[in-house]
Amino acid sequence: MKKIKNIFIKTQYDSDKQGHFNGLGGRYVPEMLIPALEELEKAYNQAKKDPQFSDDLMDLFNNYAGRPTPLYFAKNLTEKLKGAKIYIKNEGLNHTGAHKMNHSLGQALLAKRMGKKRLIAETGAGQHGLATATVAAKFGLKCTIFMGKVDYERQRPNVFWMEQLGAQVVPVLHGTQRLKDAVTATLQDWITNVDDSYYLLGSVLGPHPYPSMVRDFQTIVGLEVKNQLQEIYGIDKPDYIIACVGGGSNAIGIFNPFLDDAKIKLIGVEAGGKGIQKIGNHAARLQKNQKLGVVEGYKSYFIQDSDGQIQNTHSISAGLDYSGIGPQHGRLFQKDRVEYKYATDKEVIKAFKLLAKSEGIIPALESAHAVAYAIKLAPKLSKNKTVVINLSGRGDKDIFIVAEALKDKKWQDFLESKVKK
Amino acid sequence: MKNKILTQLEKIKNRNRLGIMTHVVVGYPSLKQCRELILKMAEVGVDFIELQIPFSDPMADGPTIMKANKKALDNGVKVKDAFALMKDLSSKLEIPLIFMGYFNTIFNYGVKNFCKDANKAGCSALIFPDIPLEEEENENFIKFAKQNDLIPIRVLSPASTKERLQKNAQIAEGFVYFVGRKGTTGAKSGLDKKLDQNLKNLRKYFKIPIAVGFGISDKSHLKSLKNKADIAVIGSAVLDIYNNTSKGKALKAVEKFLKKL
Repeated sequence: MKKIKNIFIKTQYDSDKQGHFNGLGGRYVPEMLIPALEELEKAYNQAKKDPQFSDDLMDLFNNYAGRPTPLYFAKNLTEKLKGAKIYIKNEGLNHTGAHKMNHSLGQALLAKRMGKKRLIAETGAGQHGLATATVAAKFGLKCTIFMGKVDYERQRPNVFWMEQLGAQVVPVLHGTQRLKDAVTATLQDWITNVDDSYYLLGSVLGPHPYPSMVRDFQTIVGLEVKNQLQEIYGIDKPDYIIACVGGGSNAIGIFNPFLDDAKIKLIGVEAGGKGIQKIGNHAARLQKNQKLGVVEGYKSYFIQDSDGQIQNTHSISAGLDYSGIGPQHGRLFQKDRVEYKYATDKEVIKAFKLLAKSEGIIPALESAHAVAYAIKLAPKLSKNKTVVINLSGRGDKDIFIVAEALKDKKWQDFLESKVKK
Repeated sequence: MKNKILTQLEKIKNRNRLGIMTHVVVGYPSLKQCRELILKMAEVGVDFIELQIPFSDPMADGPTIMKANKKALDNGVKVKDAFALMKDLSSKLEIPLIFMGYFNTIFNYGVKNFCKDANKAGCSALIFPDIPLEEEENENFIKFAKQNDLIPIRVLSPASTKERLQKNAQIAEGFVYFVGRKGTTGAKSGLDKKLDQNLKNLRKYFKIPIAVGFGISDKSHLKSLKNKADIAVIGSAVLDIYNNTSKGKALKAVEKFLKKL
């Protein structure tokens, strides 16, 4: 594959210098965090201009993380759905199992450059925490991961691995005990330990420069897709790209190089949970009664009540179980550049099974949201169309949740026998 | 009419004493008890009281106040309850009452309307730490506050650089709120070692009185602040006492604590 040298691209949907995506985003934080964010922004802008930084990052991408990840033609799934040709960008084959490694490597490299001694991060599904703990070990940095107690319990395997990697994992007991509360806890730790700690944020959200910086480190995904389609499959460009959207890091990563070409249809899939009718049952921020808010340092769409209180969300996938969405996604929604759809827990489990049985790929439940929408879309399209699914992670971490959702008797027996021992 | 904050600041200055600002979370432990607590504080003689409008994600608050926010929301407390309480008490009390909270509450209400209604309810100032100067152009928070005779109190910290201090000093009115240590509210008690130095530095930029918060919980702290700061903010410490005393005796305990100061 053609060597990718520059991952820092510009599009018409970038933010202005203060991190505003036409009014969204920004830096709504207490005064005590502003110097830290200014320091980070300065260091990041310098790193972007330093060819050595890009070389080091590409070296890590290729020789540590296992990039480029494959773009695979899903022949069986395509034949089954009898419509558009489906290609899968398999980010699940990244080191630690998801796209989170991309922005973790980029930010760890930056933290090292800034002379920081400790990485702190929030995590939902645990994939970002795992990636952060991994790069902390690799770069010889201390590491503390904050995880809402609900997630801490349902993603136990990842907690175990993070601890094995030397990280301290702190269950967050306040609020709804989910991802948003983990973000708050990490911000609070940062407020307290701002001198030596680097907040390695796990999605395209939070105060400026995070939404732009995390996007830039994820753009490698889209850049690879562009080359792989042309070089391996002789396809000039895709017709559709589908990705799941929690905070939105994997989606923006694959969308970014294609944003300026309006002919390419981009679809973000939110977590429909148990259905989008009732607040508390889903994490679909852009489907009904979209409401702007200013929370956790940025302005975007949040699931909130009439008083502006952030509400509980639900999704079978911990990684999408989040009440806000990255500000650039908010902007892309307003401009109609990206279409935002949703998939319910039930559809996701169905998609999970179909992909596993037809292609031998076990997707993360987050990523299965994108598959679920592709299953609806592909049959309606003609056979010469190209659909790319960003499979943001692999499903190993979800073994307990999937087994429970499928009510797998043998797994249940196994667990019981383990407990008895 | 002169803003009550300015009147109170003059009073403190004339008497050459350290002012005291306390803090409650509206609706914690209940609306009724919160009201009693405010009345008690005023009776004991505190100079300013912050009424925090509860929010689901109170980023700058430590465990004590976070829990209070959650409890208040679980009690079903609404923003309109905070306005009603403000209106009720501002007409009864001479001292200035201040709304504290997070910007999403104001944003959701509408900045202009919030400021208008807060003024109508008798609020004297606003302390909203997560709306920095850089966002003023988009939000007009300071503009609408000032138009409605609300003093937008600037909150600064030991991490603030010279540029930040200068920038904030240009627009600050009333008093400046200095966060005594890096961290969240009530996370640690005791004063920061570098506090004296930081306050001296702050004086270079701010000609208005300085309030110091975060970590103040006993008389020795107040003594060491005398002549260095103008107002001591006691937030979590009061709530901790209230929470750790058995029901019925809690108000008395707070009274005793504040009187000692």
